[in-house]
Amino acid sequence: MRNLLVRLAGHLVRALVMIWVVATFTFFLIRLMPGDPVAAQYEKLVQQGMSPDAARNATRLTYGFLPTGSGWDQYVHYLWRLLHFDFGRSTQTLGVNASAEVLTGAKWTIGLVLAGILISFALGTVLGVIAAIRRSSGVGDALTITGSLFHAIPQFVMALVLITVFTVIWPVFPTDGNVDILVDPGFNGPYVASLVSHASLPALAYALSMFGSYLLTMRSSVISVLGDDFVLAAELRGLTRTMRLRYIARNALLPLFTIFALTIGFMFGGAVFIEKAFNYPGMGITLINSIGHRDYSTMNATFLLITAAVIVANIVADLLYTAIDPRVRRGGEAVA
Amino acid sequence: MTAATQATTSTAAAAPPAVTIRDLTIVYRTPAGELPAVSGVDLDLPPGTITGLVGESGSGKSTLALSLLGAVQRPGRIAAGSIHVDGLGNLVELSAKSLQEARGGEIGYVFQAAQNSLNPLKTVGKQLLDLGRSHGVRDRTALVRSAKELLAGMGLDAARVLDSYQHELSGGMRQRVGIMFALVLNAHVLVLDEPTTALDMISQANVLKIVRAVHTERGLTTLLVTHDIGVVAEVAERIAVMYGGVVVEQGETADVLRAPKHPYARALINAIPRVSGDLSAARPLPGRPPTLGTIPTRGCVFRERCAVYAERQLPACVAEQPPLAPVADGSGRLVACHAVAVEDQQATGETA
Ligand SMILES: Nc1ncnc2c1ncn2[C@@H]1O[C@H](COP(=O)(O)OP(=O)(O)OP(=O)(O)O)[C@@H](O)[C@H]1O
Ligand SMILES: [Mg+2]
Repeated sequence: MRNLLVRLAGHLVRALVMIWVVATFTFFLIRLMPGDPVAAQYEKLVQQGMSPDAARNATRLTYGFLPTGSGWDQYVHYLWRLLHFDFGRSTQTLGVNASAEVLTGAKWTIGLVLAGILISFALGTVLGVIAAIRRSSGVGDALTITGSLFHAIPQFVMALVLITVFTVIWPVFPTDGNVDILVDPGFNGPYVASLVSHASLPALAYALSMFGSYLLTMRSSVISVLGDDFVLAAELRGLTRTMRLRYIARNALLPLFTIFALTIGFMFGGAVFIEKAFNYPGMGITLINSIGHRDYSTMNATFLLITAAVIVANIVADLLYTAIDPRVRRGGEAVA
Repeated sequence: MTAATQATTSTAAAAPPAVTIRDLTIVYRTPAGELPAVSGVDLDLPPGTITGLVGESGSGKSTLALSLLGAVQRPGRIAAGSIHVDGLGNLVELSAKSLQEARGGEIGYVFQAAQNSLNPLKTVGKQLLDLGRSHGVRDRTALVRSAKELLAGMGLDAARVLDSYQHELSGGMRQRVGIMFALVLNAHVLVLDEPTTALDMISQANVLKIVRAVHTERGLTTLLVTHDIGVVAEVAERIAVMYGGVVVEQGETADVLRAPKHPYARALINAIPRVSGDLSAARPLPGRPPTLGTIPTRGCVFRERCAVYAERQLPACVAEQPPLAPVADGSGRLVACHAVAVEDQQATGETA
């Protein structure tokens, strides 16, 4: 238990440092953009006859940045706003905070990503075990090849294939958006069904583009565990096949937590392509639109949110790992 | 009643071997085809005895030991022969299900690298319950009780060990836990493959003492695989010497160690400088132990390194592998050597 708390504390410190680095990076990135949008906005307002003070305030509200003063002052001020979750205003949707804008999209993206992870993880690990155990037969080869193939297909291609197959050739799923606007919102059958059917294809696109790497990793992990002494020992002790498979699978899962973290980053990266393809109003679309509108506040908020999401996923993966591996949970001295 | 009495008396009188291996051949599939790691082995394990199985690395000891549980690993398979175990019948013919039940049930196995013979993610206690579940044990309390008795008998804090993970146990403790797992379901045949190899001297001595003690206490039939003749000398009543997949000599440990007959057994035993003995008499065996691909397929497997063959060049040594046959001295010793057979013949010829 103490081990766990120490670990958690370490994570939090590292998470804060990482968020700070990304925040600093975006600060300088936006300030160094050609034509410095913050200064430009301030100047425009002053020219329109606003007093410097009012213009300064208005610009700050929009960007979360001070347009004037020393670089240091501006930087400290920016971090101070971030601490209060103030990312400035969106410039594309007037009067809306950038954070609200991003969060609206984020909840859809997170739903898709989670569904995609669960499906691909379940599919990839189960098929990976089969591929490992049947590795010298046709089934094993077929699974391995399928895994490598899907692993290699880019996410937007996967999305386009799914659209072609399931909405054009065999139209069983809707193409567009996240829900049928004609259905009454709320917790009722038709609405939920509409949500699910709209999310199915994009979630599948995530799942199919991810399960290959889980399958391949799980396969090689199972093969390596199969060579471990304890597997033979379990057989010689007369444990049933099912029991032995369970031992093997649980041990083989451990290395998957390492790639899990990478996967999450990859998935959020894919949001841009997949949401665009399905016109699904998540964070990816928000990001695309904010780039189109040069909406720096929203961009900044999106970057920071993605960073935070990846960090949180990392922490969750590591804590799961800790929970499953007693060698980490209960550090090593032998009992006397 | 009478039948029962008769059965008891007849067992007591004749004491048939608890394990009888006949003409056992085990092959591994290799790129060069199926090659024998064990060829035509005959071996008896008398009930209540410890038999030591010795031989250099690669001589087929582990393969033979695994076959006693019907668990030769792929790409190996039993190509011929039979393994009769008291109460189970011929293992070679048993179904997969009966074999699974026999492993850990009637026959216990203590692993070569017992250092890592436990699932690292589960406590010893949980794995004990898994064992019970696999073998259809209903009374889990009794199972835990006998495990605790075994562990305590081996000088461990039983409750604490059951609550430990593998990484929390020392080498000697892991080995004792391995013995507990092998015996907790009351196996009557115990197979130990290099049970002391990875241990320091003190743990080695402890584990051997424990093996001896549980063996006697439970009236086991034990096969102890090792490449350390010292270990055999210490605990085994009988010894079988293996070379190149063949048992070349078999007999009472004391007899064999005092006067080994097979040239390989002689070389092996002479290779250890005995504490009291003459250091200069200790000669290492020339050449390297054969591997699967280099075991001679015709003639005696030991011919190439054999001092007797080098000297006498018997044609029989080139022609065929000598059978494991009793020697003439009536000690019940079995030796597979043409030269020994010839000497015996000459000796009996002279006396006749
Ligand atoms: N899975 C396998 N595939 C191919 N050959 C094998 C396999 N397992 C063992 N062998 C070969 O069979 C022969 C006997 O091996 P075995 O492990 O039984 O020897 P051993 O006497 O136990 O040796 P050691 O003292 O090193 O444990 C060796 O030549 C080995 O290379
Ligand atoms: Mg071995």
